Amino acid sequence: MDTIANDFTINIATANGTGSQSANLILLQSLFDMGVPVSGKNLFPSNISGLPTWYIVRLSDRGYQAPGDRTHIQILVNKATWEEDLAALEPGSVVVWNMDSKMPVERDDIVSYPVPMTKLARSLNPKLSKLVTNIVYVGVLAELLGITDEALNKAVAGQFKGKTSAIELNINALELGRNYAKENFTKTDPYVVESRPIEKKRFFMEGNEAAALGCIFGGVQLLAWYPITPSSSLAEGIIAYIPRLRTNDEGEATCAVIQAEDELAAAGMVLGAGWAGGRGMTATSGPGISLMQEFIGLAYFAEIPSVFWDVNRVGPSTGLPTRTQQSDLAMLYEGSHGDTQHIVVIPGTVEECFEFGWRAFDYSERYQTPVFGLSDLDLGMNRWACEGFEYPDEPMDRGKTIREQDVFEAMENFGRYRDLDGDGIPYRTLPGSGMAPILYRGTGHNPDGVYSEKPHDYFDLMKRLKEKIDGSRDNLPAPILNENEEGEIGVIYYGSMENSIQEIDDLLEETGLKVSQCRVRALPLHSEVEAFIRRHKTTIVLEINRDAQLWGILRRELPNDIVGQVHSVAYSDGMPPRARIYSDLILKTIREVSQ
Amino acid sequence: MRERPARAIKLNVLNEPKDNYKGGPSSLCPGCGHDQISNVIISAAWENGIPPERVAKMSGIGCSSKTPAYYLGQSHGFNTVHGRMPSVTTGAYAINKDLLYLGVSGDGDSASIGIGQLIHAIRRNMDMVYIVENNGVYGLTKGQYSATADVGSKKKKGKANETQPIDLCALAINLGCTFVARSFSGSKKQLNALLKAAMSHKGFALIDVISPCVTFNNNDESMRSYTYVKDNEVTLHMTDYIPHFEPMAEVEVPEGNFTDITLHDGSTIRLETISENHDPSDSMAALTALHEAEDEKKHVTGLLYFDATKPSLAEDLGIVDIPLLDVSDDVLRPPKEMLDSINAEFLSM
Repeated sequence: MDTIANDFTINIATANGTGSQSANLILLQSLFDMGVPVSGKNLFPSNISGLPTWYIVRLSDRGYQAPGDRTHIQILVNKATWEEDLAALEPGSVVVWNMDSKMPVERDDIVSYPVPMTKLARSLNPKLSKLVTNIVYVGVLAELLGITDEALNKAVAGQFKGKTSAIELNINALELGRNYAKENFTKTDPYVVESRPIEKKRFFMEGNEAAALGCIFGGVQLLAWYPITPSSSLAEGIIAYIPRLRTNDEGEATCAVIQAEDELAAAGMVLGAGWAGGRGMTATSGPGISLMQEFIGLAYFAEIPSVFWDVNRVGPSTGLPTRTQQSDLAMLYEGSHGDTQHIVVIPGTVEECFEFGWRAFDYSERYQTPVFGLSDLDLGMNRWACEGFEYPDEPMDRGKTIREQDVFEAMENFGRYRDLDGDGIPYRTLPGSGMAPILYRGTGHNPDGVYSEKPHDYFDLMKRLKEKIDGSRDNLPAPILNENEEGEIGVIYYGSMENSIQEIDDLLEETGLKVSQCRVRALPLHSEVEAFIRRHKTTIVLEINRDAQLWGILRRELPNDIVGQVHSVAYSDGMPPRARIYSDLILKTIREVSQ
Repeated sequence: MRERPARAIKLNVLNEPKDNYKGGPSSLCPGCGHDQISNVIISAAWENGIPPERVAKMSGIGCSSKTPAYYLGQSHGFNTVHGRMPSVTTGAYAINKDLLYLGVSGDGDSASIGIGQLIHAIRRNMDMVYIVENNGVYGLTKGQYSATADVGSKKKKGKANETQPIDLCALAINLGCTFVARSFSGSKKQLNALLKAAMSHKGFALIDVISPCVTFNNNDESMRSYTYVKDNEVTLHMTDYIPHFEPMAEVEVPEGNFTDITLHDGSTIRLETISENHDPSDSMAALTALHEAEDEKKHVTGLLYFDATKPSLAEDLGIVDIPLLDVSDDVLRPPKEMLDSINAEFLSM
């Protein structure tokens, strides 16, 4: 029988809260340590314990990180989804299942490996048998696929850092599973794992932890937050790093943390920090941003630096709180009532989560305006291969904040909202300084910050704000271009779609279609985006939502002569983007356009 | 010594004239209680020798929240959004804990839309003065009842209020607020002493000031009219304030019983007994006084409750002694070696 090495998907169906996550991460890490390009997607419920969870592990020598089209190996532990998971399998698939669950496996077109997982687990530790069951299936898989003990042992040690009894228990459970498979099964399926040479050392990291580190290196001084999935681990990442990175020898921190009473208060605290001259931030998700809208408008209008990270989950409303989507883009770009426009930075990789983590503060102080980081559940809460983080290549940009009396006295015609440099960005002084004190307000104001309802004051102010934000375009992260000289088709995408784009591109190329790519990394759009569109006959905007939010922004902002050549492919069902769905939609759209 | 002007202008301990504590002209209705409170703020800050630039004037939305434009023109201020002034103040405080945060709010701000933020600022013992200019009605939207309107009280237009009011002082005492007082915009001397004491307090100081709305709620059937409050005010103590920079000997010592309370900055609030003694460390007595007054349709004023023992927010935050604002950029951003070692640790895992 021919073998299939490093090109298949394992789906592990368990119940939430049974400890399966640590078993699955051990499996993922051990494959990673063998040099196998691998990705893991945790499809978890909004629940503490008992509801179905799936963990999808995809091995792909070509480096594909999207969930694959189908499951090749199914681990069946959860009775609740047993029949559904089994029925979904294509003929020839492999099932490793728990015999002790007393559930039937009545398919003769699949390869079946029954394992008495519960009995084996009980034989090792009756009290912890539920947890041990998960490690047993990892042991069985290790034997069937050829995962080395060396890689497994290292992954176990990494997972349970220094907890010797947990390490011992897990290693024994792995061996139990491996031995059972060795003694009872003759391998009849083609799937195997092959070690690959590791050219460049990398490590696994979640986007949220990377963003947290970035914020720490961005000099965050106040984290005000309210817990919400999937952003909590970003805030908790900052909290976890403060003792090591932002605390002096006396145990005093240079970053305050306040768990607010709600998202409104969190946003208010962030504004207060920015008003006082500090670097304040919050981390939240769509529902939190909805609650923060009023403050976002105040920050825009009163020109208060403030940083908001939105780890996007599926909306509207409570939506699918533990699934992923790119549906908050339009809300962030135009947050709050009235005419507004905001800077949004959109990381597509773990490295960018770190980089934009620190840069967001610089943009916010430079432009004296709210800045949003837009991540999503897939990027934020799943583990991605990372080469390491680069130290900021420029000092902190504190913007046009006057901190010294002599500098202030040398200024002519100062007014808090007066555009002295012609770039739309005014100068500011800080509370406590005694320099040019004003009463900041969300009401209309003149260049001196004094209340005004005069038509020209309002008009001039809104015009300057527009110029200020527009002026940031080419100073924000530029799009990443990957241009194909023969290509007439351009694809624009952003954020975590980065992890599926290579596979989408390969699928298109299989049909003979070569496309160029442009990954947008910030709003307002860089001028390179328009130039990219002009270089292609047709451009498709690819996004993980229903309403084609970036496409909508492009259609409104692009010059009329090229609006017609930009088309949308927007699709979302809550799952991380599966390549074939999008490549099929792209092909369909191109067919329609060319008709 | 600097030259004095020809006609001696009275100066405070900082050698500042009172004019330096004033603000712009008020746009509120003539006779508004809020303007009286603004004047007391000006006097109290000037007399207490508070450098105006060290004050941060905070407010929400409403008639009361406009007033920061009318006092302390040399202080920065922030007229924020409706009911959310406490959170903005909390964030500013985290960055610059050395400023004196002087919040002014109304009953719409504090008892309705922003009651949650008020409660949580109290819970954190946020170090600020929080004045509620409480008139029982929404003024800017032309006279709807607020959540503090007394049962049976009738504003100029419409029916009498039948909904149970929220007593912000009782709420604050139940939450463990460390300084709770009620006053009346017409009782300048008492309000002045309470306000100075609140400024000397470290922790959350709530002063709920009955401040009549001359336009919508100053009629005879209203329980928050000037006349009604004057006739029905029950004062707990005669209140005096002795600043830390003034020797005690210069202050006239009253003949009867009195209690001195030392405040965090070394100043003293002196409570002279009127009829029966109210002990401001007794929260049950304070609640009893509030409930009895409510039953009798009276307004009890004075220092209701005081507790100097609770840590304020700054201590809870575990931050450096200097304001975070003054921490230099090279301390805020950890050095490159730290990131290198983090990268190395992850790569070796």
